[in-house]
Amino acid sequence: MKVELFGMARALAGVSHVELALDEPAELGDFLRSLAEAVPALVPDVIAPALDALIEPNLLLLDGRRALREGETIRTSDRPCVLFLASGG
Amino acid sequence: MTAVYAGPRELLEIDLSAKTWRRSALGDEVFADALGGVGLAVRLIGERVRGPLDPLGPENPIVFAAGPFASTPVPAANKHALATISPLTGLLNEGLSSSHFSAVLRRCGLAAIVITGACDEWTTLAIDGDAVRFEDASALRGLSARETTKALRDAYGDRSLRVCAIGAAGERGVRFASVENDGRQAGRGGTGAVFGAKRLKAVALRGRGEVPIADPEATARISATLRERALGPKTAKYRILGTGANLRVLQRMGQLPTRNFTAAQFEGAENVTPERARESKATYLELRAGCAGCPVQCEHLYVRKERDRRGAAASEYESVWAFGPNCGVDDLDAVLDAIARCDELGLDTISTGSAIAFAMECAQHALVPRDAFGPELRFGNGAVLLPAIGAIANRTGLGDVLAGGVRAAAECIGGGAERFAMHCKGLELPGYEPRALPTYALGLATCTRGACHNRAATYDRDLRDPSDDRDDEARARDAIEAEDRAVAWDSLVLCKFVRDCFEDFETEAAALWSAVSGIPLDAAGLRAAAQRTWERKRAINARLGWTPSDDTLPERLLTEPIPSGLNAGRRVDPERLSSLRAAYESLRCAAGAAAMVG
Repeated sequence: MKVELFGMARALAGVSHVELALDEPAELGDFLRSLAEAVPALVPDVIAPALDALIEPNLLLLDGRRALREGETIRTSDRPCVLFLASGG
Repeated sequence: MTAVYAGPRELLEIDLSAKTWRRSALGDEVFADALGGVGLAVRLIGERVRGPLDPLGPENPIVFAAGPFASTPVPAANKHALATISPLTGLLNEGLSSSHFSAVLRRCGLAAIVITGACDEWTTLAIDGDAVRFEDASALRGLSARETTKALRDAYGDRSLRVCAIGAAGERGVRFASVENDGRQAGRGGTGAVFGAKRLKAVALRGRGEVPIADPEATARISATLRERALGPKTAKYRILGTGANLRVLQRMGQLPTRNFTAAQFEGAENVTPERARESKATYLELRAGCAGCPVQCEHLYVRKERDRRGAAASEYESVWAFGPNCGVDDLDAVLDAIARCDELGLDTISTGSAIAFAMECAQHALVPRDAFGPELRFGNGAVLLPAIGAIANRTGLGDVLAGGVRAAAECIGGGAERFAMHCKGLELPGYEPRALPTYALGLATCTRGACHNRAATYDRDLRDPSDDRDDEARARDAIEAEDRAVAWDSLVLCKFVRDCFEDFETEAAALWSAVSGIPLDAAGLRAAAQRTWERKRAINARLGWTPSDDTLPERLLTEPIPSGLNAGRRVDPERLSSLRAAYESLRCAAGAAAMVG
């Protein structure tokens, strides 16, 4: 599963995307554990140490367009992106 | 017994026409009512502006109001408000700036300064502890704020002198001229032009007084917690990347206003993202800066390695967006040079970039000459940015027309140019796409300052889930909460970049206020204070001629759908906006009535 990375996630990973070896559809927890395994540097600044949530203001959006609904699973076709809330100053 | 405000409480009132000044003590009830910063500035403006006035006339007050946590151990809080009536909007403009100047304001024993009148000759207002002097500034004319600071420090023989000044644009009355201190700008709304109209080149401060704190132990304890959090993951994006990193994100989300809002994705975005400069270590030097007393140090500046590092440009998102995607320019060097030039001349980067983008679209429709600035005036031509900026600051040719802001420029150019003027109440739009962010669209329309993303930061809520389908009342409630929370932040004054460092902002911030000021406050009291200030803002605007029909959006956002990309087809439906505004007014009215009963 291809995951696009932006902001802190990209800065820490040093790449714009990663490929996860993950059975589809994936639960959020499995997705985060797999992502942490692929890019350990994302813990703890982007992925919480318990590997069960993203650290705010990072968030997961599907195709940059919508958040994951409660209980929803993730597929490659969803084009998952890890990015952060854009807040100017 | 009434609680006693512990901090500096003096109000310094200056009359530039008469060259007189007086200091008086503000009562405890003033601080209990308005807190400080924007709350105090708005209260002081409200006491003085009773009806329509000429923003460039001598009667327009300029108010500096110190943040109540400035010069204390509270992190990210050396800030002050700078309020006046905007020459761009004709309405209240309350900006913020920060760093050493804010701290020294309080070390002079001051809670606020109110400046009225106008000088006959260019003047520096020197506030030296308890003394005030009106000094000839004719030799400073034409200098940038940075050069002015250096010249005044040399003249005083004091490198610790803190200076707030305008550049050439403010002197010449450009209606979106900024005011700068310590490399930080109160950028939006044209306060620099109000300084210029008063022939006030600079305010210089020197003060070494102590700033009393009511409960130093509690203040130190809460501050230490905040400081620790501010060095953690909650602010990592600001420390490591800076706000410029928003550009890639908004591009991916299809929410990056492009070519004067004619598109929402920019094909050249990747070329101008500041991360590109950061990743090109062989080409660019990255410098870091930030405000005094702030652990975040969010500012990331870039300059080509072969060039003088004093020409490094701050890569704030809004500035990069204004000259990059909004002008269709994908040349990072041209964008950075434009930002640096605006800082040198004392111009707001958002309004300047927007004015140039507006002119590019006017040229595309043959409403203005394509050769008005020399290099061809068209989207994508980075070579035209510097000549256009120079013409705006010097007020020559088409630059003089643009110097009034896009609303006034459209009226002057005619021929339907208002279709291309992207502003709310005269203030140019910042770099978020309202057609894809419905709550933000409402916040922009209702914001008392015009199109300001920092007084109506509802995009945060929208961006968490762009597909969320909340009803009008929920969105209106979000917009009101965002507005009131911004007032609370701006009255305390805390940097919004540490907002995620609070677990329960209202409770923790109220506790911090109580510890620092000695005036008890709880979360409900903080909300009430913010609401009072918001109501005062609107009351001031009403006295200046604002009516609810002014709370709208540029025609383009209402009539032209986003043409392509992830959000293709989206626009702000005028009926939906009316419905959202009705829900908003109803909730605001109910909250006002409840506050009166309470």
